[in-house]
Amino acid sequence: MKLTVNKRLRLEKDVIARVPRLLRGEGKIFVSVGTEVSPGDIIGTATQFTGFRIINLSSLLSVRPSEVIKYIKREVGQKIYKGELLAFKKGQFFSPDKIITAPTDGVVDFVNSLSGEVRISLLPKTINLAAGVYGVVEKVDSKSNLCLIRAQVTRIYGMFGIGKTREGTLAILTKRDGVITKDMISPQYDEYILAGGSLFSKEVLHSAISAGINGIIVGGINADDYKVMMGGSLTLQHKLDEDIGLSLVVCEGFGVIAVGDDIGNILKEYNERFVLVDGNNASISLPSFSSSSMIKVRSSGLPPVGENLTPDGQQEEAQLVEGVRVRIIGSSFTGEQGKIIATDKTESLMPSQIRSTMVTVETNRRKIQTSFKNVEIIQ
Amino acid sequence: MSKPLGIFDSFNNLDKIKPEDIASWLTPAPPPLYLENYLANKLLYPQSVPVSELDLKIELAILREALKINSAQSFNKSNPFLSESPFINFNLKKILIPGHFLDFVPDLQILVWVFIDGLLLERKREKDFEDIWTVIITGDLDDVVGTIILPRLKSAAGEIQLDLLGKTYTLKLGSLTVVPCLKKKCQLLFKSNESLLLGKNDLLIEVYGGKLGIVVDGRV
Repeated sequence: MKLTVNKRLRLEKDVIARVPRLLRGEGKIFVSVGTEVSPGDIIGTATQFTGFRIINLSSLLSVRPSEVIKYIKREVGQKIYKGELLAFKKGQFFSPDKIITAPTDGVVDFVNSLSGEVRISLLPKTINLAAGVYGVVEKVDSKSNLCLIRAQVTRIYGMFGIGKTREGTLAILTKRDGVITKDMISPQYDEYILAGGSLFSKEVLHSAISAGINGIIVGGINADDYKVMMGGSLTLQHKLDEDIGLSLVVCEGFGVIAVGDDIGNILKEYNERFVLVDGNNASISLPSFSSSSMIKVRSSGLPPVGENLTPDGQQEEAQLVEGVRVRIIGSSFTGEQGKIIATDKTESLMPSQIRSTMVTVETNRRKIQTSFKNVEIIQ
Repeated sequence: MSKPLGIFDSFNNLDKIKPEDIASWLTPAPPPLYLENYLANKLLYPQSVPVSELDLKIELAILREALKINSAQSFNKSNPFLSESPFINFNLKKILIPGHFLDFVPDLQILVWVFIDGLLLERKREKDFEDIWTVIITGDLDDVVGTIILPRLKSAAGEIQLDLLGKTYTLKLGSLTVVPCLKKKCQLLFKSNESLLLGKNDLLIEVYGGKLGIVVDGRV
């Protein structure tokens, strides 16, 4: 009997793709089409004039919002530079001193005693845009200050997400089945992409935006938190320009679900490396950090700029046979991955009184028997 | 290869269902957060099937709510006898159940019960001609499987007597009962002092039978 199931593209290893590098602020991109670049090369410089950062000191110091003013070490209107002391709370018997430093250069311009937040207006600063990847410049748009670099990347496709493309250094915060909490988010991760964990909540989102985090990669999210981020609806496909102040990619689904083995293992390899996260397309690009990737980049071409490079529909149908790798999608064991080791010849009656052909999935930890309709082939 | 279809592939507005509405069909009800995540995962994986008894109950509750929000009376403008809803035709008084739904809920009686709850339960029983609905399993060939009778109740307690195929059934008001009738057309005699069928409390009629039979919904 032929069993047909969904086949989902989750991972594309070492493909040639265009990596967008956007220079924000007023400035100029130096490189021209055809230039070969390496990650540390500065490809453009700009000056940023506007913006502010909000830091929730009440949460970071674990004090009431009205008490925040007692611990701030700068007057309103004073300049402060990145790394300088912003607030200090002396420790008690069992708790250490709490030292909060400025995450950016700026002016302390407002302290909100109702929310416990302090706002720092940013000083004009010079931004040097690094290439971030080994590659060849394919297109430079001087109007939008966008540079497209042909590079070798590994692509991860999550289930859904939100937010425009952002980049940063990847930091894995927890084990795949851990939970990212507010305490883990600190200004030291300014402009980082944080990964790991089986659950991400809207409370952590607020802390992450305050701390200047650029992106979050997570296994699961509660539907009500996602609704809040999406303006009240559970829409999974949305406009490409939607943004919430950072880019979020949810790799598995709703609820507490650990990041799958396939994605988790690749992310580990890229810890503390430069990555790009596109929340609106639920994709993560991991540029190769090996200079030898230039050999493939030089010899590979891509369709003209403007054509869709994302695989159309990341799902297709395929026949389920023994030996293929699958991911469980039913309400039990959701997100677990393994290999099909047996397929029943006849249908069985499940506790739900539904008859279905059962398959046995061997994961790293156990063997799971489930309906063939509750698995999808992964690649 | 054809894509494996699930029940919930037939709906494009599942995200409008509220967890508290799903919970209203379940006793004891799981926490709203659990139900909301369950529903959201159905949007991602509509083809998955319930494994446990609780999963099935949750999915049937979601189906009830999905049918409810898709049951708004809508007519095809080019032909008023065609409905724009794939599940109910108000003009012809038909309940239309897609055949592949039986792959997920093989018990036809339970499936019809869910359709009644989703499509007919909250309708005001005011018009005589809305008392009788034909149940059809749709697919390559449509299959008439039975009839739903919705008597209009005059009081919350009482009885209905049905004479069908030489047998007499006494049904208590306040309950939903399925009476078997495998014949294509079934003649039945309806008698009740506390309810009306087509405006009468004593009526001999012929309705469609089939593998479902005749469902009498005497719930208040």
